[in-house]
Amino acid sequence: MTDAQAGGSVRSAGRFGLWLGQNWALLFLLLEVVLFSVLGTRFLSLENLQNIFVACTVVLLLGMGETFVIITGGIDLSVGFVMGFGAVTCAKFMVLLQAAGLPQGASIPLAAVICLLIGLIPGLVNGTLVARLKVPPFLATFGMYGIAYGISEIISKNTPISGLPSAAGVIGNEYLLYIVPRKMVTFLIRPQNITRLEMRSMLAIIPIIVVIAFIFVGIFSFVLRRTRFGRHTYAIGGNVDAALRSGINVTSHLTRIYMISSFFASLSGVLYVLKYVTGRADAGSARMLDAVVAVVIGGASLYGGTGAVKGTIIGALIIATLETGMVNLSIPYHNRYIVIGGILVIAVLIDQFFPELVGRR
Amino acid sequence: MRCLHHFLITPWAVHCGERVRRLLWQEWRNRSAKRVLLFVGERWSAFFLVLMLVVFSLWAPHFFAFKNFTNILYYSTLYVLLAAGETFVIITGGIDLSVGFVMGFVNVCASIVMRNLHAAGHPQAFSMLIGALVGLALGVIPGLINGLLVARLRVPPFIATLGTYGMANGVALSLCEGFPIYFLPPQARVIGNSFLAYLIPGKSFAFFHRPQNLNADDLRALIGILPATVFVTVVILIVFTFILGRTRFGRHTYAIGGGKDAAIRAGIDVPGHLVRIYIISSMFAAVAGVLYVFRAGIGNFTTMSSSYELFAIAAVVIGGASLMGGKGTIGGTVIGILILMTLETGLNITGIPSFYRYIATGLILIAAVVIDQITPERRTISD
Repeated sequence: MTDAQAGGSVRSAGRFGLWLGQNWALLFLLLEVVLFSVLGTRFLSLENLQNIFVACTVVLLLGMGETFVIITGGIDLSVGFVMGFGAVTCAKFMVLLQAAGLPQGASIPLAAVICLLIGLIPGLVNGTLVARLKVPPFLATFGMYGIAYGISEIISKNTPISGLPSAAGVIGNEYLLYIVPRKMVTFLIRPQNITRLEMRSMLAIIPIIVVIAFIFVGIFSFVLRRTRFGRHTYAIGGNVDAALRSGINVTSHLTRIYMISSFFASLSGVLYVLKYVTGRADAGSARMLDAVVAVVIGGASLYGGTGAVKGTIIGALIIATLETGMVNLSIPYHNRYIVIGGILVIAVLIDQFFPELVGRR
Repeated sequence: MRCLHHFLITPWAVHCGERVRRLLWQEWRNRSAKRVLLFVGERWSAFFLVLMLVVFSLWAPHFFAFKNFTNILYYSTLYVLLAAGETFVIITGGIDLSVGFVMGFVNVCASIVMRNLHAAGHPQAFSMLIGALVGLALGVIPGLINGLLVARLRVPPFIATLGTYGMANGVALSLCEGFPIYFLPPQARVIGNSFLAYLIPGKSFAFFHRPQNLNADDLRALIGILPATVFVTVVILIVFTFILGRTRFGRHTYAIGGGKDAAIRAGIDVPGHLVRIYIISSMFAAVAGVLYVFRAGIGNFTTMSSSYELFAIAAVVIGGASLMGGKGTIGGTVIGILILMTLETGLNITGIPSFYRYIATGLILIAAVVIDQITPERRTISD
């Protein structure tokens, strides 16, 4: 073997290691899918794969907002209860608007829009506290965590809100495409007047909730990657002083970042209402830490400056696949906490040992 | 000339004198106002606690009662233990999110050991003792893992302890399969709910042992003085206040929080110290877990929504610590917990739904940080 060959193979081995380190989350996801499809029953069916995507929407949406915040070097602990707040306000407005005599077609979108607008308020408060009053993000958003939870319990009177327009559930559980083999294809509307047998063979493709979630994820992914707003976000996380000196209005930028985070939280609240046709104050309480985990697995650093939407999507899918797979294998649910805790620590250790990877993913 | 003097110079001199006097007066007043502001700003949490006690005593019926104050202390014990451990971690500039679930983990382990030994026919005292010791010993493990991850592998404390948070929770749930653990030695509950002294006014007084064979009137008049769990907690807190305030270990803790590089240059073994700090934190959680077993008489895991760790962190911050490290005292933390628990008890007694507590906690927490920001800096280390 000549020197050149040896050098080349060493370099390619190094490059392979780098590639492995950069894409380990993706590989882990594939490993999970392979493992569960070998061990589980019907894991690779279309239905189950779609279930995974439905299961990941909440973590994905909360994680999207969290991605922006974590890139700036902050953290948003309030997303879980802001999601509950969004779910409760959305459900409440649907009930109120319906009681006011509006048709279902008007009351549902109107309530959703009102809820999304109100949902900007927690973010505005968080952002003001963090950016203007210099409260550490951990404490400001933890304060909001308590306030949002308390207010949503007051609005919902400590019970799930019921009596929503029935069309909400229809919208939330709809699919983009229905295919009845050898008979018909319909968009959005579930085919009527078909036999039981045809009903059983009907394919429903792409849940509408996933579509809505990914539209917003796509938009904000573009914002983060291709616009000045996104570049400024990375700049603030990389070095606040440098960002200030280069003329970025850090204060207002941070405020907008926290508003994006609470917007995504209320959006997932709205989707929760559409899917489950109820509003609960604790809709997202357990999901806040999952969202942080997804972002960190996706390669972001809590010190700021790194992170990408792609990574967060993979992180959310890892968590959702794990949950779905464990249900499939009927492994007790609580084992997920152990596994997710382990993955989280390993994720950070990989970033520690391959510092050259940080920011590349 | 006299005229000039009379009409111009004298008024001018008077005017000047007046101005100087006013300036001096203002200066003095400003200074003292500043000093008052500083004084109140540094101790606002204690003032706030007193204010709250006064307001609730005037507003809520039966709030100002010996039994109620005992209750506040009784319910504070678990939180104050978690928060005291958290104080050490936060002073070093870290954070420990795992304390709530470590408490649940130790609780489950200790009670399983107690139940099994008791079922195997061992004496109650023996099974309780072994159960408690096993629980405390296992409580070291999460802290050791946290400490090694943070100090040796440089994992950010938030992430490292979030990992053990999940693992402790998962292990506890797998051990107890999501159900409370019954059939513990019956004596455990008796010990956990005993008082240091019992008093029936004008009749009898007893240490440790609850007077037996009482009639209904005596039973109603019976006053328990200082619950045993509160007593244990107070002793532990006094010991660790001493360690934090008066020993080299405590000084090193503040030094690491003040500046890690300076601490390393000063020859402090920072990784070793940090590992010990995280072990202290999880030992506090373990003690809370064991006390919980004795108090409830059953073993139970920590539910996902209980947010113990967040209330502990809130109390530490309300008590004057900074998440940037270098600041904080156990005394302040105790005041922070007492504020939160007084609030909860007070709201309960006045019949206000308990979830207002979350709003109030959030507001007080934010107020604490903002007050800390606007209070001019004077102290350096533990004031």
